[in-house]
Amino acid sequence: MDFITLGGNSLGTIPLGDIVLYLTPFNLFLFGILLLFTVMIAFSKPEIQTEASLGGLSNTEVKVTPKEFKQRRFLSVICGLASAGAMITGDLFNFTLFMAFVGILNIGIVSAVKQTSVLNSAFNYGLIAMMCSLPLFGGAAIVLASTGTLSLFELSQMTASPMVVFGILLMLLGIIGESGVAPFFASKAEMFRTPGSPFLVIIHLSSLFIIVRAVEILLLVLV
Amino acid sequence: MKIGKLWNKLANPKVVPRLFACFLAILLIAGFIVPFALDGDNLYLRPSTQTQIDEGNPFAPYFRGGSLLSEPGVTLAQYPENSAYLGMVTSYLSPVSIWLASITPYFGTSICASPGGILDEILYYTRGFDTILESSILMMSFVIASWLAINYTMDRKNDEDEIKNDLKRAIGDSNKVANEVKKSDIKARNKQMRRDN
Repeated sequence: MDFITLGGNSLGTIPLGDIVLYLTPFNLFLFGILLLFTVMIAFSKPEIQTEASLGGLSNTEVKVTPKEFKQRRFLSVICGLASAGAMITGDLFNFTLFMAFVGILNIGIVSAVKQTSVLNSAFNYGLIAMMCSLPLFGGAAIVLASTGTLSLFELSQMTASPMVVFGILLMLLGIIGESGVAPFFASKAEMFRTPGSPFLVIIHLSSLFIIVRAVEILLLVLV
Repeated sequence: MKIGKLWNKLANPKVVPRLFACFLAILLIAGFIVPFALDGDNLYLRPSTQTQIDEGNPFAPYFRGGSLLSEPGVTLAQYPENSAYLGMVTSYLSPVSIWLASITPYFGTSICASPGGILDEILYYTRGFDTILESSILMMSFVIASWLAINYTMDRKNDEDEIKNDLKRAIGDSNKVANEVKKSDIKARNKQMRRDN
């Protein structure tokens, strides 16, 4: 499918050598929303949770220490920027790199938590993220081998051969695992059951936006 | 099995990596039956095999021609208009490489062969943004690891309670192990006694 049918009129490109970023209203909208959220996260304070204490009527506050808060804010801002970059990139391999970047940042945001259940699910998510590098980069490599190009603009003009379909499916499995879509949701959903909300929301948000973009790429290459 | 039970099983984080590995394995095995059709007109062309070796070129099979900063070598880009100086450093050789190429005809196949900056030009010129991203992935993983190491692994001064707890737990564990050893010892002795009688 063509860029213009999916994303609206082309508003220009940002050429970085062979990697060309495409600006269409659709991509720019996703990019802008993510940047807006990133700015909001950068200037917000973490939530304080209250927990009912066992065997009494008092409540306890669950806080994030300032050190941990700074680290988390830094990683979430980078995560926001990385997922914003994935929204406007016009290159298949570049997109997979952004996806891997978001994956490692997601683990980093929760890595300083002291709750064992959260750490356990983060560990399991880490295992998936490690496994995902094979389908992500392997898929992109298979597409490159069968078409000779990674540029989404060129790929959208071609008709997909069975090998391209296989490569894209492999990549899609990688994206699904890395962004925690059903049936692989459990580890990622358990990961952000901890205080420090605005920074944890970016974990969720980045995967949502990347799935939208992945569907666009799927349509561009296959249809 | 009821579908509710299945969903409950999926909600356990421990199951998810195994499930994912299963899906991946199925897809990879399915890949064996996909007809592989490689693109003949690929981006980085090479001369047909053995021609450079027959010519006696020490850079065979990776010789790409061109002269440094004046004439571009054979390097193709998806969008040549975005990289105007492509191929200009393809023929660059370090002094060591020049010396090695002068004494052996097999320089191109040696491990120190980097005739031409073809790799560098792909990495830093035509696909430079990828390199930036790759190194930032690495940097972020170092940021995470070093932060954890400094604040949790190395920093034990402030959590005396935790150290005390750990000690208590260790003592409890060793007591438990000792008890178990004692029990199994008694069991084994009883068995032996029965056998002897």
